[in-house]
Amino acid sequence: MPGMWWVVGGTLVVALVAAYLIWTAGRVERLQARAQLAARALDAHLLRRAAAAAVLAERRYGVELYAAARIALDAQPDEREAAENDLTRQLRAVRLDPSDPDCEAVIAASRRLALARQVHTDLVRDARTARGRPLVRLLRMGRGHTWPRYFDIDDPTLTVPAADVPTR
Amino acid sequence: MRIGIVCPYSFDVPGGVQNHVMDLAEALIGLGHEVSVLAPADEDSTLPSYVVPAGRSVPLPYNGSVARIAFGPVSTARVRRWITRGDFDVLHVHEPLALSLSMLAVLSARGPVVATFHTAMTRSRVLSAAQGVLQIVLERITARIAVSALARKVQVEHLDGGAVEIPNGVAVAKFAGVEPLPGWPGECSPGADGTLGFLGRFTEPRKGFPILRDAFVELAEQRPGLRLLVAGPGDRDDLFDRFPPGLRDRVTFLGLVSEADKARMLRSVHLYVAPNTGGESFGMILTEALAAGTTVVASDLDAFRRVLDNGRAGRLFPTGDAVALRATLAELLDDAAQRAELTACGDQVVANFDWPVVARRVLEVYAAAIEATDGRVIDQEWVGSD
Repeated sequence: MPGMWWVVGGTLVVALVAAYLIWTAGRVERLQARAQLAARALDAHLLRRAAAAAVLAERRYGVELYAAARIALDAQPDEREAAENDLTRQLRAVRLDPSDPDCEAVIAASRRLALARQVHTDLVRDARTARGRPLVRLLRMGRGHTWPRYFDIDDPTLTVPAADVPTR
Repeated sequence: MRIGIVCPYSFDVPGGVQNHVMDLAEALIGLGHEVSVLAPADEDSTLPSYVVPAGRSVPLPYNGSVARIAFGPVSTARVRRWITRGDFDVLHVHEPLALSLSMLAVLSARGPVVATFHTAMTRSRVLSAAQGVLQIVLERITARIAVSALARKVQVEHLDGGAVEIPNGVAVAKFAGVEPLPGWPGECSPGADGTLGFLGRFTEPRKGFPILRDAFVELAEQRPGLRLLVAGPGDRDDLFDRFPPGLRDRVTFLGLVSEADKARMLRSVHLYVAPNTGGESFGMILTEALAAGTTVVASDLDAFRRVLDNGRAGRLFPTGDAVALRATLAELLDDAAQRAELTACGDQVVANFDWPVVARRVLEVYAAAIEATDGRVIDQEWVGSD
């Protein structure tokens, strides 16, 4: 009975395609969700660094650094990258003393921010690759989420005089 | 923090990745974290208490050498069980792109995954042929660590991603207080004597032993007491054939040495020489020599320059230049003050490579991975960086 084999074969192909589509949809969903969580963590680290810089500016370095920290804290989403880069520049311009707790807080916050930025960039790239695949675009998978966006800032790592601090 | 670490290669044979995993696990335990290491090993082999054996491993040729790894349905089941029972906050796998326990663990993991890349495979058939399959593995990794600038470059150029560069650690305490071999290093008076050391496979061209040999032969004529200490795999007669008969009694060959004897060997010489001509991605041996408090003379490779802080912590000479090496050696053997200055600087530099320091940086990457998985931020104190 060749007709029955056609039915069995057809069902199998449909089942495999369905399984693949479900798996791909899950994959896209997972990568999207992860990129969003990474963005939240990055946001929190940006706020922490700006807050630590503001504390330091109040005590030691005065108006310019304080202004940069305030602007970074209050920046609108479309101005935020520039504001954060400006804060990084301001922090690099002052001499940070790692033995001072307020300075150390800024250095540590910058280090953690650098890691959060690295992880966020990687996860956004993964999510964008998944969203950009032809099949995913065709079936408009993951359309419930906004297209994942890079947060494009300079490396915020602060260089500290060598030998005293474990990080470079 | 509960940390699960996966080592792809068997602890039954020594190797760079295995040492790295063991030292990292011990450093993390020392910082008060709970660590479980999964590695291929026979059930009856003696292992540290934090290692969970994942069964027999099979030898497979990989990246130019033979690695003993485990892969297959039985290993998969064991990896799954270990992950479920471990209930880890973070899973840290090493070399996840080798067909190994590490890859299985990445594919079975649910939570945050940190991966460390050790080798700098510049052209790998696996990498180019199976990009689609690798993407499935790679996209389950939350944060990547590369142990050298070269390994990081491979990440950026071939795997389309970034990585945090955290160097290999060195257990400074294991090297610092060790007794030198009896009778070594001896005197080092200007123009008369001194001791040079070399560790590695002297038959391998890229280790650069012939450059050191040429420099030694010339220099030994001028300094009647100059001695050379060689350690590493190889044949004794083969080594001595490389020297003129008159100089053979001034060369000592130790053969392959254990980790403990390596530390003693490094402390038994006035100058440790690394004449490598290439192929080094990090220069682990230099950090070990610095940890032992020995003055280092190394060829001007990128990796060595980074470790030696541009020549501040050890002398660099033009790669492959035996004449320049000889001049550098003669100058340093005559100048005890300059040697002392270099080693003092070396102590500072190597402090950055000490395992507890390196482990804290790894912990910060763990924190970043956990944060990126559940979106909440971990306090600095909890990471243990203060």
